[in-house]
Amino acid sequence: MPKKWIINLRSFWWQIAILVVLFILPFIVSSFYVYVLALIFVTALLAMSLNLVLGYGGVYQFHHAVFYGVGAYAVALMLTKTSLPAWIGFIAGPIVAAIVGLLIGWLCVRLTRLYFGMLQIALGSLVWAIVFRWYNFTGGDNGICGIPLPSLLSSLNGAYYFILIILLICLIVMYLIVNSPFGSTLQATRDNPGRCAAVGVNVRRHQLIGIIIATFFAGVAGVLFVVLERSVFPDLLFWVLSLEILIMCLLGGWFTFMGPVLGAAITVALRTFVGIYTEYWTLILGVMLMLLIFFLPQGLVGYLQEKFRRRIKVSTKRT
Amino acid sequence: MMLQVDSVDKYFDGFKAVNGAELTVEKGELVAVIGPNGAGKTTLFNLITGQLKPDKGRIIFKGEDIAGLPPYQICKKGIGRSFQIVNLFPRLTVLENVRVAILSQQGKSTNLFSPARNLATDETINILKSVGLLDKAEATGGALSHGDQKVLEIATALGSEPELLILDEPTAGMSPEETLATMELIKQLASTRGLTILFCEHDMQVVFSIAQKIMVMHQGRTLIQGKPDEVRSNKEVQDAYLGGGE
Amino acid sequence: MHFLPDIGLATLGIQLLVGLSRAMILFIVSAGMSLILGVLRIPNVAHGSLYMIGAFLAFSVASFFGGSTGFWLALILAPLAVALISLIAERGIFCHLYEREHLMLLLFTFSLMLVFGDLVKLTWGGAFRSVTVPSIFSGSLPVFGLPVPRYNLFLLVIGPIIAIGLWLLMSKTRIGKISRAAAVDREMVGAVGINVSWVFAIAFVIGCYLAGLGGALVAPTVNIALGMDHTIIIEAFLIVIIGGLGNMWGALCGALIFGVTQSFGVLLWPQFAIVFPYAAVIIVLLLRPSGLLKSVW
Repeated sequence: MPKKWIINLRSFWWQIAILVVLFILPFIVSSFYVYVLALIFVTALLAMSLNLVLGYGGVYQFHHAVFYGVGAYAVALMLTKTSLPAWIGFIAGPIVAAIVGLLIGWLCVRLTRLYFGMLQIALGSLVWAIVFRWYNFTGGDNGICGIPLPSLLSSLNGAYYFILIILLICLIVMYLIVNSPFGSTLQATRDNPGRCAAVGVNVRRHQLIGIIIATFFAGVAGVLFVVLERSVFPDLLFWVLSLEILIMCLLGGWFTFMGPVLGAAITVALRTFVGIYTEYWTLILGVMLMLLIFFLPQGLVGYLQEKFRRRIKVSTKRT
Repeated sequence: MMLQVDSVDKYFDGFKAVNGAELTVEKGELVAVIGPNGAGKTTLFNLITGQLKPDKGRIIFKGEDIAGLPPYQICKKGIGRSFQIVNLFPRLTVLENVRVAILSQQGKSTNLFSPARNLATDETINILKSVGLLDKAEATGGALSHGDQKVLEIATALGSEPELLILDEPTAGMSPEETLATMELIKQLASTRGLTILFCEHDMQVVFSIAQKIMVMHQGRTLIQGKPDEVRSNKEVQDAYLGGGE
Repeated sequence: MHFLPDIGLATLGIQLLVGLSRAMILFIVSAGMSLILGVLRIPNVAHGSLYMIGAFLAFSVASFFGGSTGFWLALILAPLAVALISLIAERGIFCHLYEREHLMLLLFTFSLMLVFGDLVKLTWGGAFRSVTVPSIFSGSLPVFGLPVPRYNLFLLVIGPIIAIGLWLLMSKTRIGKISRAAAVDREMVGAVGINVSWVFAIAFVIGCYLAGLGGALVAPTVNIALGMDHTIIIEAFLIVIIGGLGNMWGALCGALIFGVTQSFGVLLWPQFAIVFPYAAVIIVLLLRPSGLLKSVW
């Protein structure tokens, strides 16, 4: 199978090349691009975390942003209200997010599909409402600004590298999980939960484990957000963000591993660069998404993969 | 006695689909359930394997009442099931389909960090070999022919290493050659793996050639349980089912 | 805890009436959403945008004509304009999407909400707008000895009228009965020779009209601002779910629960008043996940 081998090798070298570029980037481009890229990394991690449970698990996680926001607020509150060292806050963020994820998930998992999603939206909105109104503790609709960070992370470049390294570690862990027995069982529960039950799989338990993992990573993304922006606000927990993340997964293709990264990159890039020219970048994003859903239901990466696959088939047929 | 169904009732919105059904299956037996369409065979199987909860009666498996337990627990107790309407993982390959069952049986389904493709390959290959699907191991489940899909159903059920294997119309929709092959397979599974097999069928040739005991259902009731000759000569059965042709 | 002030029965009564009048608006908007969800199976996230557009249009019409006539004209014209917009959207876009998966439709209508949001910003700018209550409704009437704003009483009257009107429409008229049939089995309806496509269009337009009407009715009572679409849509969705998908009386129940619990929230713990309706919704979903009344799906 020489064709397959060539492609594998090529993609491996491409991966190395991309990594090298990402690492030396702060020395080549202006800090604006460094910032945008760091923001893409954070958003990509968030989108990937949703895809773990939505794309691979078939769980209608409609309010995933809540766990992102909870992780961000947890670390923000620890850094501003306590004098604990920063790294404790960094670890606490994802753990708190995962605990909230477990609680909300446990309540929701007894319902199916759409109702799971709606109950999660209700529970998530409850959390948002509490954060939004609790001025004394969470800063209410103003949020919290000027969060102190350890000196290593307080520069943009420092934050950039920290975020990049954490992102890479998370991606590797996610890759391992997706290809583990748990990963294949989770995908099986997405495709046919009845069959899974008949072969002895406790579908709910697997979905819950998937939720805990996904919300943990969302919490990590929340921590990274704080490292980049040094502030938090209630919008991080708002349902609009949740649907935006869902769309990023769709854009990139939710049956592929790296698809959500592409979706996140496109969304953040669009928002930033179109936003320079007009304040109506939401309009443009909305129209693009409508066109995409109308014409390409399997997402960009899915569409490209199919075209690529067809080209490979054609060329192997010729040989 | 491996399985005993004791006066089980099941209502669907006032309609009594299963009415005091009785069934006993001894260890190592090959038992068939037959009956006209709508007699309640699949409903009975769904009651045994937990997809439905009986409204009345007991279902005793190896001395324990399993009525009303969720399907995954019933599977863990040793009952495997294939479905009448093909119920696979269409996007996974044949190998991966069976592997899901094996990983679950080995308790590894929550294992997060070892690469799945390296695990359980031997066991999966064994099962695929024994059902004759090894050469199609890399094919996608959804792309198989109907007959092969029904065999994959059986293979997946075998993956959970059941003691009692329940097959719901295993030869439905198969060509005569495939039907013969599957009959042989079922006989072989009973003898080489020591499996107790309970199946339901419409193909009387299959039933009377391999079943050691036959239970006849009609309108949700058990008409008779007995050896093939007893059943064949029973007047009630002839009137209700066999007499009027298929 | 100091959130249990001395509540007199009168204050309770007033708050209840205010809550009920808010519930009427929620009902009108939710009924429209329920209709569209029930008949067309489309989770229309842009429904909230139409509500917002209805409010902004009401502002424009009211300020153009001025005075009380302006208000009444706004009440008539704004929902009609919204209905027209929805008709164009339906014929142009939605009729091609009926066979798509629900998740895709959800994301599609979400994108539409983004588009509408910016279009509203483009047309009216980001400042708050307001509509003054017409003179008949200004001031308050004494109820239980304390003043209740007359406009709220007007809403309390309008709500049931619309509920009964909708009920008559759905159960007594031909189009209503066909819509209900199409909600349950669209293929069957098509098979008996009825043009399902037009049934869908009419149901969609009526549902959107209700959204616009809700917006026009709410206009005098709130700051008309960007972001109205975001808050109302979640409330409407949750109400429709707890009421039972596609069930109009369910939408009424859900809206009442929502409005009343919010009022109690205002009385008991004003800072966290908005938490109370969400808590109520969660309790209902946990106890009766398929909704309080029968769902059409």
